[in-house]
Amino acid sequence: MTYFVFFLGFSFVLGGLGVASNPSPYYGVVGLVVASVTGCGWLLSLGVSFMSLVLFMVYLGGMLVVFVYSVSLAADPFPEAWDDWRVVGYSLGFVVVLVVGVVVGGFVEGWKLGVETVDGGGMFSVRLDFSGVAMFYSCGVGMFLVAGWGLLLTLFVVLEVVRGLSRGAIRAV
Amino acid sequence: MSLLHLSFYSAFTLSGLGLAFHRTHLISALLCLESMMLSMYLALSIWPIENQATSFTLTPVLMLAFSACEAGAGLAMLVASTRTHGSDHLHNLNLLQC
Repeated sequence: MTYFVFFLGFSFVLGGLGVASNPSPYYGVVGLVVASVTGCGWLLSLGVSFMSLVLFMVYLGGMLVVFVYSVSLAADPFPEAWDDWRVVGYSLGFVVVLVVGVVVGGFVEGWKLGVETVDGGGMFSVRLDFSGVAMFYSCGVGMFLVAGWGLLLTLFVVLEVVRGLSRGAIRAV
Repeated sequence: MSLLHLSFYSAFTLSGLGLAFHRTHLISALLCLESMMLSMYLALSIWPIENQATSFTLTPVLMLAFSACEAGAGLAMLVASTRTHGSDHLHNLNLLQC
């Protein structure tokens, strides 16, 4: 299990590397999907399954889907995948940066994951992440309302930015 | 540094570097920004686990809400750029008159 979690962490970094090295956006989204799936896996291994599922639904199912169909605006006739020489250069440069950072900052302390799990304690059978996020509706109601207002405001910001010459949001492009 | 912290820290740094360097497409820069938000979500989720503090699990969900706002605004700018310049290439975003 330790090695599997190590593999998830390593794949998270590789997904971030895959986005940062400059492929065509079609392949950049693949790197982001890999990173988010392995990030969810790591949160699952720590026990906070609710946070992991929130990440899956909101991030992968909501935001990335929107990104993927916006990538159609960036259509290249010959998209550069990671085997293109320009992208390989970026990838190798970033791997060098990563290795130098780890070596200079001191090597990773073995297999110490450094965290405890979250299944409450003793007879306390309420899980940490469920009861925590439910505080949005009790103590955190102020921030909850601010976030909801911010999302509503963003809707109008987006409609205004893509307005173009005339009112009405539906256009060919 | 424990392995988990190294993982999200290095993913954040690499995505930040990817955002800073030259891209061909605007949406590649937006994807690097999303990758930074993802590593921040992981970091903020790990904090209440390590400290066994229940109420801090609000923070990553709140951050995800504002990250969705930011992604929407960025994609709106992408569409605006495609409408005015015909593509989202970053060399189009240039106000030089000479």
